[in-house]
Amino acid sequence: MRQMVFPGDEVAEGRVRLGGGVYRDGDKVYSSLIGLLDKKPNYVRVIPITGKYIPKVGDYIIGQVVEQLYSNWDIDLNSPYVGILSSDDFYRRLDPYSTELLEVMPIGTLVYARVREVTPTRKIYLTMRERVARILRGGRVVEITPTKIPRVIGKKMSMINMIRKETGTTIKVGQNGRVWIKGESGKVDIVVKALQKIEREAHLPGLTDSIKDMIIEEREKI
Amino acid sequence: MKVGQPEKFIIDGKRLDGRAVDELRPLKIKAGVLKRADGSAYLEWGGNKVIAACYGPREVHPKHMMRPDRAVLRTYYNMAPFSVIDRKRPGPDRRSQEISLVTRQALEPVVLTNLYPRTAIDIFIEILQAQAGTRCTGITAASVALADAGIPMKSLVPACAAGKVDGEIVLDLFDIEDNFGSADLPVAIIPKTGEVTLLQMDGNLKGDEFERAFKLAVEGCYQVYEKQKEALIEKYGGGD
Repeated sequence: MRQMVFPGDEVAEGRVRLGGGVYRDGDKVYSSLIGLLDKKPNYVRVIPITGKYIPKVGDYIIGQVVEQLYSNWDIDLNSPYVGILSSDDFYRRLDPYSTELLEVMPIGTLVYARVREVTPTRKIYLTMRERVARILRGGRVVEITPTKIPRVIGKKMSMINMIRKETGTTIKVGQNGRVWIKGESGKVDIVVKALQKIEREAHLPGLTDSIKDMIIEEREKI
Repeated sequence: MKVGQPEKFIIDGKRLDGRAVDELRPLKIKAGVLKRADGSAYLEWGGNKVIAACYGPREVHPKHMMRPDRAVLRTYYNMAPFSVIDRKRPGPDRRSQEISLVTRQALEPVVLTNLYPRTAIDIFIEILQAQAGTRCTGITAASVALADAGIPMKSLVPACAAGKVDGEIVLDLFDIEDNFGSADLPVAIIPKTGEVTLLQMDGNLKGDEFERAFKLAVEGCYQVYEKQKEALIEKYGGGD
């Protein structure tokens, strides 16, 4: 069980490498967040348990087109920063001069994309030139606390694969706290309930098993 | 002598509300009381009842306030019309603008704004009921709300006042002492380092009285700090 720490708590001393959620003051290292302490012999960080999504390079996100300017789409990321998707980063070749980008992806379109680059001024460039990236058509989106997404995925994707298998739905999980589900409407309801349960009980051990029991129970009711 | 002014503030070493001179009013803090805000705190401190809500980091509007190297911290202190005995005319006034400003200045040194450039962090402090010392109550609540919102900060910021009544230095004035006493000294500190982020004085204190009042207020801050941590432990568990 990891220890819970609060802003200002001392978490390490001396020569250690710092991860996120900590800061150094003199010789000592303190937590800057409410979170769980992850401490190794020469590395320390605090895993946040609340807070907004801040894009990182390599994250897969579920975004929504909110604006189109020049040859870019602006993508809402459920974050303080807006994502930019250039027509060059679309999954197929587009000629930005002869195509109307809003006909390819109108405002409101949901996309599953990867964060390609984060500049020091926090411009967020996305890319869909990825095998798994695509436009999400139909389905349903739920938003949960972004810090609880790792729990939705589970160790080696155990949780998410179990939910997929037990409900027969298609699911995409974005690091920005959005989960997209497509399938039979009753089954989708079950997944939504399961996600809400994960969000509430993210701190409890043995969650995959209890979620599995819940899904089986709910499936009986249909 | 003004209407309502008591003849003596301290009788047999006890104050008018039964406290000792170095005793805080009962303080209760609850973190995460609002569902829609990113972080929040509710605080009851004697007769003060305060809600603080924190939003952010989020996009900055209006855009010209945006800073390319850090987040902007914005605080809004507001008193409900029913928070005081005579109805308070709603809306911002000079007093609430000043308190918003000193609250922001009290919290800015601890919030790691450089981690979220081009964003805003908004704090709303609503005074539901006032019984003197609302700026300290507001700062205390706001720093719990910030932590609850998951905003990186160096430390919580507790605040507490000391003052002078009947020529004696007392901790944490309540309304009668504040209105008719001789001085009020609100203080906010960063507990780990002892740095002072808020220091105001209303009334007059002699040099040595100031020293004593300041020391007493700082001791009060450390007591408040323990309550802030308890509130977070109550919501998030752990803490040993």
